Amino acid sequence: MAEIKHDLKEQVRELIYNTCIHLDDHQWEHWHDNCADNFNYAIRAFSPEVQADIKYHGGDKEYMQSITSMLSKHNSDQSPLRRHCTVYRVDVAADGKSAAAISSLAVYQTQLDGINSHVDAGTTSIFLVGRYNDKFIIDGDSIKFEDREVRLDTRRLDKGTHWPI
Amino acid sequence: MSSRNHDQWNATPDLQQGEWVDSKIYSDEEIFEDELKKIWSKTWIPVCHESELKEAYSFRTMTIAREPVIVVRGKDMVVRAFLNVCPHRGNMIERRPSGNYKRGTPSGTPKTMTCMFHAWSFDMKGKCVNISRKAEGYQDRLNESQVGLRELKCEVYFGGFVWVSLNDDIGITVEEFAAGSLDVLAPSLNEEPLEVFHYHKAIIPCNYKLWHDTNCEFYHDYLHYHNRITGFNEAYFARKNSGFDGGHINVGSFEVQYDNYEGSHSREELSFPHLPPNHWYMIDMFPGVNFNLRGSALRCDLMTPLGPNSVMIEFRGLGLASDSKKDRQTRIDHHNSIWGPFGRNLHEDLLAVTGQGSSMHPMAESRKILHGRHENETIHDENGMRHYYEEWGKLLNRSPSNPDETFKPYPAFKEQEAQRAAAAGK
Repeated sequence: MAEIKHDLKEQVRELIYNTCIHLDDHQWEHWHDNCADNFNYAIRAFSPEVQADIKYHGGDKEYMQSITSMLSKHNSDQSPLRRHCTVYRVDVAADGKSAAAISSLAVYQTQLDGINSHVDAGTTSIFLVGRYNDKFIIDGDSIKFEDREVRLDTRRLDKGTHWPI
Repeated sequence: MSSRNHDQWNATPDLQQGEWVDSKIYSDEEIFEDELKKIWSKTWIPVCHESELKEAYSFRTMTIAREPVIVVRGKDMVVRAFLNVCPHRGNMIERRPSGNYKRGTPSGTPKTMTCMFHAWSFDMKGKCVNISRKAEGYQDRLNESQVGLRELKCEVYFGGFVWVSLNDDIGITVEEFAAGSLDVLAPSLNEEPLEVFHYHKAIIPCNYKLWHDTNCEFYHDYLHYHNRITGFNEAYFARKNSGFDGGHINVGSFEVQYDNYEGSHSREELSFPHLPPNHWYMIDMFPGVNFNLRGSALRCDLMTPLGPNSVMIEFRGLGLASDSKKDRQTRIDHHNSIWGPFGRNLHEDLLAVTGQGSSMHPMAESRKILHGRHENETIHDENGMRHYYEEWGKLLNRSPSNPDETFKPYPAFKEQEAQRAAAAGK
């Protein structure tokens, strides 16, 4: 049993890391494929300014699919975002049917067209830092995201982005 | 003529003076300092919402024209504003963005604002209540009554927004300052208490007026797929863009077709009081405030100019304090889908003004920024910006079209003013 749990933990880690690649590379469909039908996504932060937990973005799987499918119709900063993620902890439920994970996250932005490309293109800075708080559904060999909370430390988001984090 | 050389580029546009501005007004250090002194230090500025100061002894800190300001709610529940500066050695008293003085601080007792430097303490009315080792140091030469905080003019007005002025001699109330521009939304915002549910900030490398201009003009609908697909019909183009005294404007409403945008739905069920379903009003107040009510969610932008090419914008979203948990969540989702930092429209607007900021550095060849669209004062008329710069020019005594020259009224406004005076029998 301990070995099975260890394998599941490894699979969860692998899923989180692969999802980072999918999101970095705008492989939105791969990301959606790894989400359960009842998936829910949210970007949140606590604001000490107004002493409240703030939801910045999010919705269910259908909403996130519509958001990504509409990207080409919008004017967006195309400066790439790259995730540096470290999975700190994976907890698999005793029955092996669900798991939860906490990962540390830093997202770097390399300027392309967001400011003055002649001067700024190629410049990398930290776009945001925070954590992924993830929940998973496990069904045999299948592991899917059931919930992802991007819990931000960064609250000065300047121009923001159209892309999910 | 197609493309233009230097002289042609710098030539006066074939429009009336007042229908364009010189880009120097967006980049010049001296003009920026003039604005802080003659505009931002002189007028009413909304700084936060009363729901951020729910309990007695709660506080919020902010900056107006580089002055650190603190707003506190006293035990009498009155909201007051002070310079956030200790009268002893000029230290900033409160460093946190918000909090409550019911609990003490490392240097101070509960229910006082205490400067951590030398533990001088003040009550919620700004009265000094403790000078550490007063008798030993000052004998009878100085006492608490001589070293109170600097109190600022403060009003809670228009749906619970907290307004502060650094100007003791301002001589008008916020209502008088608004000159009727807020009336269109007053019934919706004053019907029941509001509450802030969203806050985030951005520091953008552009002049503050460029953000205000963008809020004032809707011609930039072409930037937003969302606006084009949910608007752009006869009723949309008929929306009135009305000017008020003092450089304020508001934009009339129409019914937004939210269903036209994939993943978006009608906001009818959660309309603010007295607001027809899915309607959308906007108010832009001089010198840099925006109230934007899209059916179920109110947005408010407050600006803090940081330099000629730098502005901090604080974005707030508000709903009804009486919201159920479910309704609140729906309002938040409505707000975020367009106006959150990951929303569809805000990112696009901020990209555009960043591009303007990048192109308007102080040494740049002058750009004549055109504000000359006339469409019977409807949505794509640039009346809003013309109105704003008329007030700006008056207060600085500079011509927006040539800021090194003194102000001359925009001919059309001068004519309107003469007509109003004649009608009033003057």
